[in-house]
Amino acid sequence: MDLINNLMLGFTVALSPFNMLMCLVGVFLGTLIGVLPGVGPVATIAMLLPVTFNLSPIAALIMLAGIYYGAQYGGSTTAILVNIPGESSSVVTCLDGYQMARQGRAGPALAVAALASFFAGCVSTLIVAAFAPPLAEVALKFGPSEYFSLMVLGLVSAVVLAHGSILKAIAMVILGLLLGLVGTDVNSGVLRYAFGISELSDGIGFVTVAMGMFGLAEIVMNLEHTGEVREVFTDKKLHLWPSKEDFRRSIAPTLRGTFLGSALGILPGGGALLASFGAYTLEKKVSKYKHEFGKGAVEGVAAPESANNAGAQTSFIPLLTLGIPSNAVMALMIGAMMIQGIAPGPQVMTEKPQLFWGMIASMWVGNLMLIILNLPLIGMWVKLLTVPYRVLYPSILVFMVIGVYSLSNNPFDCFLMALFGVFGYICVKLECEPAPLILGFILGPLMEENLRRAMLLSRGDPLVFFQKPISAGFLIAAMILLVIIALPAIRKKREEAFVEA
Amino acid sequence: MRRLLAAAALLAAAQAPFAQTWPSKPVKLVAPYAAGGPVDVSARILAARLQESLGQPVVVENKPGAGGNLGAYFVAKSAPDGYTLVMGAIATHAINPSLMANVPYDPIKDFRHVALVVQVPNVLVINADVPARTVKELIAYARERPGRLDFASGSTGSTGHLAGELFKTMTGTYMVHIPYKGSAPAVTDLLAGRVHLMFDNLASALPNIKAAKLRALAVTTTLRSSFLPDLPTLDESGLKGFDMTTWWGVMAPGKTPQAVVERLNAEIFRAIEAPEVKERLRAMGSEPGAVRTPEQFTAFVGAERALYARLVRQSGAKPD
Repeated sequence: MDLINNLMLGFTVALSPFNMLMCLVGVFLGTLIGVLPGVGPVATIAMLLPVTFNLSPIAALIMLAGIYYGAQYGGSTTAILVNIPGESSSVVTCLDGYQMARQGRAGPALAVAALASFFAGCVSTLIVAAFAPPLAEVALKFGPSEYFSLMVLGLVSAVVLAHGSILKAIAMVILGLLLGLVGTDVNSGVLRYAFGISELSDGIGFVTVAMGMFGLAEIVMNLEHTGEVREVFTDKKLHLWPSKEDFRRSIAPTLRGTFLGSALGILPGGGALLASFGAYTLEKKVSKYKHEFGKGAVEGVAAPESANNAGAQTSFIPLLTLGIPSNAVMALMIGAMMIQGIAPGPQVMTEKPQLFWGMIASMWVGNLMLIILNLPLIGMWVKLLTVPYRVLYPSILVFMVIGVYSLSNNPFDCFLMALFGVFGYICVKLECEPAPLILGFILGPLMEENLRRAMLLSRGDPLVFFQKPISAGFLIAAMILLVIIALPAIRKKREEAFVEA
Repeated sequence: MRRLLAAAALLAAAQAPFAQTWPSKPVKLVAPYAAGGPVDVSARILAARLQESLGQPVVVENKPGAGGNLGAYFVAKSAPDGYTLVMGAIATHAINPSLMANVPYDPIKDFRHVALVVQVPNVLVINADVPARTVKELIAYARERPGRLDFASGSTGSTGHLAGELFKTMTGTYMVHIPYKGSAPAVTDLLAGRVHLMFDNLASALPNIKAAKLRALAVTTTLRSSFLPDLPTLDESGLKGFDMTTWWGVMAPGKTPQAVVERLNAEIFRAIEAPEVKERLRAMGSEPGAVRTPEQFTAFVGAERALYARLVRQSGAKPD
């Protein structure tokens, strides 16, 4: 019954009027920056850090955490409405969410995204509360070889993401991997593919690529059409609320997404990145509506949205129990805690139970606030789409450029985004999809880093990937998946061969 | 010629009142790293206090890239009017010029070194399962297992890496360097026992030392740390002269007027000695700086530059 007592303690802290206010400020700001393309939670939290000096540690952390998961909520809004993923986690939401919007179903897509996120947030908060210490041990079980094999599995599933030609999807994944190699090599410090441009020495930024390939390319595509495409958006029978059918179809994907997301979120070395991709791939394989994926399937919104929100919550586990940040935002939270004189790590839970449990309870409160905040906004967002093109798109473009500039206060990133916009447009014309490229781009560097680290640790013995049970399991799963993907193609070839014979 | 002299006289005349009116507009403090890292956070702590005493906003701007070189170079070529400053660090001003090809600035001549703000010792930590209680025992343990121990670091050419290489040279041991992207993933593998030891910065290692998940053997500075007063230094433990500290401080473009540099130095020290700022910097593992005046700071940077030129050469960290 410790859990109930602890949660009671947490809620007394989180429900104090001032902490509730801070939570509201956090989730509101988070939603706002999530909606603004390019402006991410990292920059926002960094700017707000001095403001938190004068708050109590718990109020400060509640607000900063609110910004983080609020941004996850807001990020899906732009992904659905205008095909711009602000965060790596909302790339997948673009695939079906934006298609739903094009069919005049932006309202249901937004509502399903919000409800799925809320459900996932509630469940994963409970998971954090009940199992944080034992789950932290799981995070430690993942070393370089386990991460490498997990990334291999992720990469193989990237091919499943595509709904066109498999060959093109593989080509895009490889291109993504190559783009991910740009920058300084971790082991030797050698610059690769930087062409003497010092801005490229830290690699190409994810936001730059994603906004160019998705957002800019989409705007250019839309400029080709004159007038008639707009009618799709402003269809007369505009729905705001999901139908019974939408709800029915979303339940199972949301459950699966929540559990997959919660599990992957625990891994500090990039697990959360995989959550939404993994959940989408899983749905595409198990769903009865496979053929609708990529054309506006509601499952394609519910699963990744629940997964990324669940992952966002459980990524607090390595932070709170081991003091290990799993991404840039978590690193900032550590900074904030240290300024407040709290050393993040295993002792936080025992030495500052009020802080630990208060923060967990506040996540639940924050999720509730987000849903109350976001559901009424859906009507407003959908109306935004009725704004004429010539007004809407230039303003989106301005926000995108500001957002990309703010990444490192360097105009170079804006030019790079423009370049990727052109490239993205060419890809659309060639019917090559950007999603596999993005996944290759995200996973490539992580994969290489872990592969080489594992080989360094094993002194060059590649068998290490098969000797560790977790790693071997992922590799076997990847092979099975590969066979499943290849089978239909092989069968077809054989049939063709027989026809010719 | 006469005209040139006249211009110079005019310039000199203009400078005196300029220093008195400085600052008359917002001051920009460039953090050459991403938002949220220790350099950025301390810049923001300092800026919040500094703008009260200067009476002008002090705005922190992140210009990350190329190991901090982009931000440092941006300030090196900015107008030397005291309105653009940089939080220059051990990487940008001591290590990178030896480690990287084509660093576009001279860390000594292109800057005025205004005030050293933060000094954090590194600490030698081992996984709790490694059976060594002292540095001597660790050396013996490593000597029995040449090439079988791994030491982690946050990146190739970081202080953690160079400290490890110096340790190897001084003790005649052979260990393999495993570079990571930042301290956090390295600590994860150290906690899990996949690597054996690490020269981590004190602030990031402290929580796990206190929770007895990692065992600290020594600090890399010649003075003991006030956070762990019972912990010996490497120098005390038989590695005579082992002295490494991670540091950063405020710097200005090379031709910034002396009066502005002095005023800034005084205001920065007033800020970092104010109790609440001091406490916050201390929470980041910072010990009070050893140097006070701009001239001492310049000499300090010069000495560090020479030290790391030697260490980088010895370690083979520089890619060819």
